[in-house]
Amino acid sequence: MSKGAELKSEDLAGLFKGLLENKVVDCLVLPRRAGEGGKNVSYILVRDASKIDSAGAGTAAGVSASAVFAPSFSVNAANILKGWTIGEKVGLVAKPCEIRAAVELVKLKQMDKESVLLVSADCSGAFTNQDYAANADEIGDWLEAGPGGAKAEELKGKGVAVREACEICENRLADEAGADIALVRANGGDGDGGKVVVAGLTERGVEALSALELPLEEKDIERAGEKAKIAEAARKKRESLPTASSVQELEEFLRDCIVCKNCRDLCPVCYCKECFFEQPLGNPVGGDLLNLAALRGAVGVPTNQLMYHLTRVYHVSATCVGCGACEDACPKDIPLTRFYPVVTAKVQEIFNYTPGKEVEEPIPFTAYEEEELEEKLR
Amino acid sequence: MGEEVREKEEFEPKIVGFTCNWCTYAAADLAGTSRKKYPPNSRIIRLMCSGRLDPMFVLKVLLNGADGAFFSGCHPGECHYIKGNFYARRRIAALRTILKQFGLDNRFKSYWISASEGEKFAKTMKELSEEIKKLGPNPLRGEIL
Repeated sequence: MSKGAELKSEDLAGLFKGLLENKVVDCLVLPRRAGEGGKNVSYILVRDASKIDSAGAGTAAGVSASAVFAPSFSVNAANILKGWTIGEKVGLVAKPCEIRAAVELVKLKQMDKESVLLVSADCSGAFTNQDYAANADEIGDWLEAGPGGAKAEELKGKGVAVREACEICENRLADEAGADIALVRANGGDGDGGKVVVAGLTERGVEALSALELPLEEKDIERAGEKAKIAEAARKKRESLPTASSVQELEEFLRDCIVCKNCRDLCPVCYCKECFFEQPLGNPVGGDLLNLAALRGAVGVPTNQLMYHLTRVYHVSATCVGCGACEDACPKDIPLTRFYPVVTAKVQEIFNYTPGKEVEEPIPFTAYEEEELEEKLR
Repeated sequence: MGEEVREKEEFEPKIVGFTCNWCTYAAADLAGTSRKKYPPNSRIIRLMCSGRLDPMFVLKVLLNGADGAFFSGCHPGECHYIKGNFYARRRIAALRTILKQFGLDNRFKSYWISASEGEKFAKTMKELSEEIKKLGPNPLRGEIL
């Protein structure tokens, strides 16, 4: 049970205004509808509450339930807040995968826990934002929860598919991320006219909601059955994805990679300021490249695809939230979802760790048990 | 003797080892001073602690064509720096999980060998060398990556 209140979905914009007006947060990062007919969903960083256009609720431009719950993914919003939250309190309203990435960034000390208020919203799985914008009328504001919803299947037949990363995502409900506040869709209705339960998951979350003078009561947002169903289907889907099982296959998979490192830049949990692959050893140019060619006789250029991706998958092995931002970022359309989330899930499994679920749970590489894992070493 | 068989017999694997200064490196030293014989296939790189092992080192040597790689440190609980090998163990477990996905895990081994176990070190190197010989050369050797 969590402390929460039920709102009409058109009142959601008012909730966000309230957070700013009551100084619960100094600014808010929010999804909003923009572009022609409000079909494009992207983020804004708001300081002035009057800029939150509640009049635009519905499918028009503006901040509304239909923007918050829209099945559209542009960037991982945690990436926007990475490395600069200082002092001022920033609220982040985003999908569970984005909030989970933010939680990992808190653990990695790339985000200050006291300066962020994390608000996670139920997700139904998402299309890339360009797919969504192009088909917004057909897709609507919300997909049926869980995979294999009729609408999603129908669209798939037309070649507009939910992102693979979303299909293999096991944590799509708001309270599965380590957020302060969860936005839960209380009924299956689309957009306006629907009900949203706002629930405080942490002490800070409940405090924030109390400051808004919402009538808080005990709310049951557990939904264990639905979670189990989503997780089961996602696991099945993940296991059925074709994944390289030898170095040769991996080489083939990465054949088109131009080592632009966009996947790193857009990855919320890849955070090093001085990436190894920007340094001479990791990014051979000029003389380094000639030396390498002398060593091997010949060297493929651009070089280092295997080393780059294998190292990166190790670096994010504990913290990858499987948001699929890497795949969206790839200019060569390499289906990186079949690599990063699939491989990292295996690592997370041996540590029994779900990134971003619990703020207090340490990242596996920063902790240890005295007796463990011996069977995994040989 | 057929050409093929001879070639197989002549294959001498290159194995890169990452060992801890306080235990396994000393064990290798002990194996030497007590004149234990073991195959000369391994090239040892001394680390101050097994916790210094960046899994990237292992990826690098394997992708650059080493036939095998191993890591060896103090027994868990006996680290010179108290807990370095506990952290190393988690990293190695993660690395091996990734290597396993791509069929490279049989070329990377990990051991705990203390400073007094010169005999064990020699025996381990012998077994490792034989095992890698059986696997044959690293298919990535000489490949244009």
